[in-house]
Amino acid sequence: MKFIFDLDGTITAQETLPVIAKKFHLEKEILNLTNETIKGNIPFVESFIRRVHVLGKLPVSEISDLLSGVRLHKKVLKFINDNKENCVIATGNLDCWIDKLSSKIDCICYNSIAKVENNKVVSIEYILNKDEVVNKYKGMGEEVVFIGDGNNDMEAMRISDISIAAGLIHYPANSILTVADYLIFNEEALCRQLNQLL
Amino acid sequence: MSSVKSVVISCAGIGSRLGLGQTKALITLNGRSLIRWQLELLKDFEDIRIVVGYQANDVIKEVLKIRKDVIFVYNHDYFNTKTGASFYLGAKDANEFVIEWDGDLLVHPDDISKILNANDEFIGYSDIVSDEAVFVKTNNKGDVLSFSREHGDYEWTGPACIRKSKLQFTRGNVFEQLEPYLPMKGLRVRAYDIDTYDDYKRVELVIKEWRNL
Repeated sequence: MKFIFDLDGTITAQETLPVIAKKFHLEKEILNLTNETIKGNIPFVESFIRRVHVLGKLPVSEISDLLSGVRLHKKVLKFINDNKENCVIATGNLDCWIDKLSSKIDCICYNSIAKVENNKVVSIEYILNKDEVVNKYKGMGEEVVFIGDGNNDMEAMRISDISIAAGLIHYPANSILTVADYLIFNEEALCRQLNQLL
Repeated sequence: MSSVKSVVISCAGIGSRLGLGQTKALITLNGRSLIRWQLELLKDFEDIRIVVGYQANDVIKEVLKIRKDVIFVYNHDYFNTKTGASFYLGAKDANEFVIEWDGDLLVHPDDISKILNANDEFIGYSDIVSDEAVFVKTNNKGDVLSFSREHGDYEWTGPACIRKSKLQFTRGNVFEQLEPYLPMKGLRVRAYDIDTYDDYKRVELVIKEWRNL
């Protein structure tokens, strides 16, 4: 059994890109892109590139420090830490921004990769495709449970053995509700379901 | 045993026989939706799983007004399946014992605790009141011996409790999932199915007597 978690809004109790935008007073540009992406109105890859274009000029080390302080869902974190061999994270977020944040979560993290020079993101080298993570573990004979909330989780959820739409900080994207097996709005209930699946 | 039980409420159907144009969970009985009646009766029970299909978003919205810790289970193929499929989907990743609770069932408040606290598997039945009942035949101990569409001693209403590992997927009805395990212990309850408009009017009168809710 392998539990694959989306990061933003599923493990974190805040979406991370708006946190960066707020800190650097770029809320208007980023919030609209984030909301439209969650709803599925802008394709994830396009939105991600546009958001990185805006935020990539900011100092990487400051962003990494900032995100290391993002609030986490404590019960979800405990489940992951208690079952670290069975859990992985799949996030489109950049390695250089979430390195300190992901080090607080005791499991493997799959993420997008940026090229950094002079403490700035100069290019995106790789954008994580979450369904590749699902296929990797299915190919290893694992039964895969995917937990996510955004439109960019849809294909991964569709091909997973069990998919859980999590509405812990916002209503999940409508697109994933067409493929989800479960829909859960409460952290205790989510962890109850995860433990039932173990 | 309550810590290892789940309640599965099946609310995925289109409510075609009732003819009120909406899934039965949302029909109003004395000012409250049917799903609100059910959740208030089950307010102290932890693991509640609601199977949704037709009008899923509306059912979810109504439930979230009442409690947030429900696990919603999707039956995406609700049009081509019956309650047995919803029960299977709701039960397959639940606790060891699952209590099947039809979305169109209202149980007398005074019978809730004996249902939730029963120590074994059981099949719930009531006196015959519905227009289109499935019947149960029982022995002198009250055990359920068989189901019948034609005649019987009582009406099969549910709830029923069974170990989840015994359940097989079916597109059919819950009682067909239980048939291989008969005879099973019976539990006589005051419960009312709402399948037809006459059932609906009858239940509206019954619940007017439930002063404490």
